[in-house]
Amino acid sequence: MKDVNILAIESSCDETSMAIVKNGCEVVECVVLTQMDTHAKFGGVVPEVASRMHTENITMVLDELLRKSGMNKDEIDAIAVTYAPGLLGSLLVGLECAKTIAFVWNKPLIKVNHTIGHIYANNLMKKMNYPMLALVVSGGHTDMVIMKDDYEFEKLGSSLDDSIGEVYDKVARVLGLKYPGGPNIEKLAQNGKYSYDLPKPVNDDTYNFSYSGLKSAVINLVHNEEQRNNEINKEDLAYSFQVVAIDELVRKVELAIKNIGVKNMIIAGGVSANKYLREQMKNLCEKYNVELTIPDFKYCTDNAAMIGAAAYPLYLKKDFSKLDINASSYSSFV
Amino acid sequence: MYSLFIDTHDDIIKIILFKDGKIIENNVKESSMQHSVYTMPMIEETLKNNKITPNELNEIIVVNGPGSFTGVRIGVTIAKTMAYLLNISIKSIDMLEIKSLFVDDDKKIVIESEKNGKYIGTFNKNNIPIEDYIYLKNSEFEEYKKNNKISEINNINYEKVYEYLRNKETVNPHGVNPIYIKKIGVQM
Repeated sequence: MKDVNILAIESSCDETSMAIVKNGCEVVECVVLTQMDTHAKFGGVVPEVASRMHTENITMVLDELLRKSGMNKDEIDAIAVTYAPGLLGSLLVGLECAKTIAFVWNKPLIKVNHTIGHIYANNLMKKMNYPMLALVVSGGHTDMVIMKDDYEFEKLGSSLDDSIGEVYDKVARVLGLKYPGGPNIEKLAQNGKYSYDLPKPVNDDTYNFSYSGLKSAVINLVHNEEQRNNEINKEDLAYSFQVVAIDELVRKVELAIKNIGVKNMIIAGGVSANKYLREQMKNLCEKYNVELTIPDFKYCTDNAAMIGAAAYPLYLKKDFSKLDINASSYSSFV
Repeated sequence: MYSLFIDTHDDIIKIILFKDGKIIENNVKESSMQHSVYTMPMIEETLKNNKITPNELNEIIVVNGPGSFTGVRIGVTIAKTMAYLLNISIKSIDMLEIKSLFVDDDKKIVIESEKNGKYIGTFNKNNIPIEDYIYLKNSEFEEYKKNNKISEINNINYEKVYEYLRNKETVNPHGVNPIYIKKIGVQM
């Protein structure tokens, strides 16, 4: 069969990224322009600023992609783009750029869900085997999903309140850490030990999560200690928080492995870059002889290569979009 | 010589196709927050109606504001991507400068309205801005109006705009960006 090259665009948050992905699994080239330093000055992503920067950079990123890949329009089979979920103004810049390329080059347009993109980042490591358990952990998701085939999702459970990524960001803020919160907590926790007794999230036998209690406990602890003029050991608190937050993910995954008997598992989303999570999951999967895949660090954060990977099954199904598709800030994939 | 004019700065999307400076199609649609749904299909339709392909375009002209931030970004993103891919010339112009072309005076003050206020531009007789553009809320504008002579422009002859742009230099598509004027919560 002829190779399929997909040019993919991702602009849902603060990264302007474009990639060319061959056959849904091989990254020909991936360009990521991050705005992280700009948003760090504001303590978080400012949507209007993000949209402006995407508009400023979009054709330069495209130019860099085409130059670096050395590919021209005749070698590209389709244009893929993230249409949801994310910041609406940011999504629209990537979406309009993708539509324009599809129109000018006369190529099919494929719309891709950002979260599904994170799952398919694993195909860039090795081909996913089904049935498979997917743990999706990010700023917007804490989901456990069973996939029986490409694009067949069955939700086992998800967070009933805050996502794990959100809680990482909140805890980082209360500890006075800079944006982005997750990596900074992890860094701080490296020198910490378990010394704060934090409440465990829902201790039940469902596949759901709840992180608001843990979040409140950390915030209250910090405020109480500040009022009493007690010094907080931030390293220990970061460590204790991380252990409680992540061990809950591990416990629920173990439950699913035991009950359902899955043999394949992947982790997806920004939090999958967390080293403690990666380690714990590796240990767990070894224990149960489950084949685990986690994306390389560079494909854990937002990137267009994963969008190109997720677009490939849609290309094979000829699931193409017209030029009138709109972006959406919310979208559930299960 | 085909030129495509793209204007998405307010809730009337305008796609105009020029052939040698004459309008051969004027495609207009009202859109409330649906610019992403309409704009590209309108461009596709305009070219199809005139049986030309994107490769036959020679030039892109885009309105870069002021107006709806998201709306302008949609038109600008399409325009710069198109000019870049086709390697054709691109020119951008804002609504205040366009309106100034239709005033005959030594000092021209023109406005562009949006829901809560007005963008204001002040030009000399050669259509060069002599003050920075400003944005005033409707209440502030009432006061401004008392002390300044404002020219209301309701009809724009786009062939005249095209003629005016003939003398303007084309720019690098990477450098085409919206003008915003109105302040946002953070300082960039």
